[in-house]
Amino acid sequence: MSEKNMEEKVEHATNSKNVSLPMSRVRLIMKSSPDVSCINQDALFLTTKATELFVQHLALSSYKNGSGKETNTLSYSDLANAAEEKETFQFLTDILPKKILARDYLKSLEEMKKDDDNL
Amino acid sequence: MDGDSSTTDTTQLGITGEYMTGGTYVLQTQDDDGDESFNDHEDGNDSKDYFREQDIYLPIANVARIMKNAIPQTGKIAKDAKECVQECVSEFISFITSEASERCHQEKRKTINGEDILFAMSTLGFDMYVEPLKLYLQKFREAMKGEKGINPVAVSEGLGEELTDDSFTGQLPAGLISADGQQQNVMVYTTSYQQIPGVQQIQFS
Repeated sequence: MSEKNMEEKVEHATNSKNVSLPMSRVRLIMKSSPDVSCINQDALFLTTKATELFVQHLALSSYKNGSGKETNTLSYSDLANAAEEKETFQFLTDILPKKILARDYLKSLEEMKKDDDNL
Repeated sequence: MDGDSSTTDTTQLGITGEYMTGGTYVLQTQDDDGDESFNDHEDGNDSKDYFREQDIYLPIANVARIMKNAIPQTGKIAKDAKECVQECVSEFISFITSEASERCHQEKRKTINGEDILFAMSTLGFDMYVEPLKLYLQKFREAMKGEKGINPVAVSEGLGEELTDDSFTGQLPAGLISADGQQQNVMVYTTSYQQIPGVQQIQFS
């Protein structure tokens, strides 16, 4: 069976089965990792499915843990907090910086400067 | 987290450094429109000659839908949260892939297979996904083999009864997370809406 044939089969199969994310796009992301040559079908499916589980996990975890309870809304800071507090999500801390108002940042810079002056 | 004890340590200030190296910060504007996106992700496939790893995302609609189905029905999701999860997802995929790829190289193999992925999950702290994923994979393989229709697969031991079709809900496959944290038999929904009782529940709380 040619590769194209196989791809079509996978696409068709997955369209009618239980994946809600495009496997071709997942493959693209996987291939952008350095040194990745070939990815077999099972691996692609598992990664796609795992990604779904991950989204659910991250969303629910952040929502429950954060301000979602009061405001009913899952916000960016809920996600940033989850990344910092939960070990499983710590690989996300680099891309989920906590946001800070400019004036607070400048204030803390001033305080740092004062500390330096006092030394 | 880092154990760096200098006074300029961002973690001591309670600020996390931005993801670009160099210790810059993400500043929030006064009227938080929440729309800070680092990349244009209309559809990153326009310029095919140049892809940075961070630029490739899964479609936000799909991601948002999965999120929506995961949280309680009355909950809402901020727009910047959706975009953010979209980025996290790409990060997750890369994270798993590079771990799996490394193992592959160590064993002098060229093709990443299912085992590598599952092993990577386990290693990286996602071992609670592994068992459900194996079941999903089983179903997927069955579906691939016999495309005429899905044959019910009894995946739990000792149940011995045939799976029956359940009513349509029209929803996307529900996750295995229970929002209220109660212990219950979790149904794994496939798009053919068959139930597989007895599937191990994932507790995400």
